[in-house]
Amino acid sequence: MIRFTPEQSKAKRMTAEIDDGEDVQLAARAQMGDRPAFEQLVRRYQDRVFRFILRMVGMRDEAMDLAQETFLKAYRALPGWRPEARFSTWLFQIARNTALDALRRRRHIDFVSLTASPDEKAIEPCDTAPLPEERLADKQRIGLLERALRELPVEQREILLLRELEDMSYADIAATLNIEVGTVKSRIARARVAVLAHYRHHAGESCHD
Amino acid sequence: MTDPVRPHLPDMIRLSGYLDGELDGATQREMETHLAACPPCAARLAELRALTAAFDALPQDTLGFDLAGMIAGRLAAAPRPSPERPAPRWWGLLPASLGAAAALTLGTGIGSVLIGGGAAMPRMAAMSVFDTLPPGGLCFGSDSCYSKGARK
Repeated sequence: MIRFTPEQSKAKRMTAEIDDGEDVQLAARAQMGDRPAFEQLVRRYQDRVFRFILRMVGMRDEAMDLAQETFLKAYRALPGWRPEARFSTWLFQIARNTALDALRRRRHIDFVSLTASPDEKAIEPCDTAPLPEERLADKQRIGLLERALRELPVEQREILLLRELEDMSYADIAATLNIEVGTVKSRIARARVAVLAHYRHHAGESCHD
Repeated sequence: MTDPVRPHLPDMIRLSGYLDGELDGATQREMETHLAACPPCAARLAELRALTAAFDALPQDTLGFDLAGMIAGRLAAAPRPSPERPAPRWWGLLPASLGAAAALTLGTGIGSVLIGGGAAMPRMAAMSVFDTLPPGGLCFGSDSCYSKGARK
């Protein structure tokens, strides 16, 4: 059973900040034309970028191509990177845009407005007993979660991935998605409620079970 | 947060922010106090924690090969990144402008000296075509060959 507390989250982010210093050095060297430094950055981030894109587009082969495209775009855009911007945030911005472009090409993108009133309704939790932690823990339930995640509108899916898988702070998510921190806060909450609702639906549970 | 004694719908935005440690210190403490006294909110928080735990348990897919090695050739072919140069300012163009102006002035000066100045210009024989009579031409009547002064 995995326990997760705000304190643990903070500790995870502190580790990320330590790594960030090395990123800055590598990116600065790569900016000056040091190709091996950029290759080192690719090795550091290739799996994280790949995983993020894979969960965005859902197909492994396409995610591999898009991960490659992301790093090539990043290399070309490197002169525009500034040390004030965290390298990982900047890179995920490129990865996210690359994934969104691919989804648009496939016309699979779901442009559901997240500010409309139905979502306000969606954020209201049902007042039943919560799902026990152990009920989400086994493999079958992980499969249900993956399915529920795929069915979310892309705006909710991407924000959950950045928060839950990448452990990004709200400020970093805001920078990556180019939105306000307040919007991050409410969108994450809505996304969590929505993914739980999808999960219940596929598990054959209802709010009133 | 809402009065824990009265039944209420959990505030999901606050609960979610609390879970992520993204509330300010005072609100975080307020939430802790509220959660201790509000079973519905505590239950929702447990549910959100379970969801986070489930995300942590998702398979960690990897590429399975060295992407850096694979794209090395394409990186070598790509234009070498160099820090962005700022757009040139007007004063940056000043030396070139001054040089161009000086060259133009010098050229005009030399040209005017050669054309209209003190240099002796040879009279061109071709200009004689504008004389009244061509060289060796016949006079058509006496008035044509002799000026009035000459006849006197």
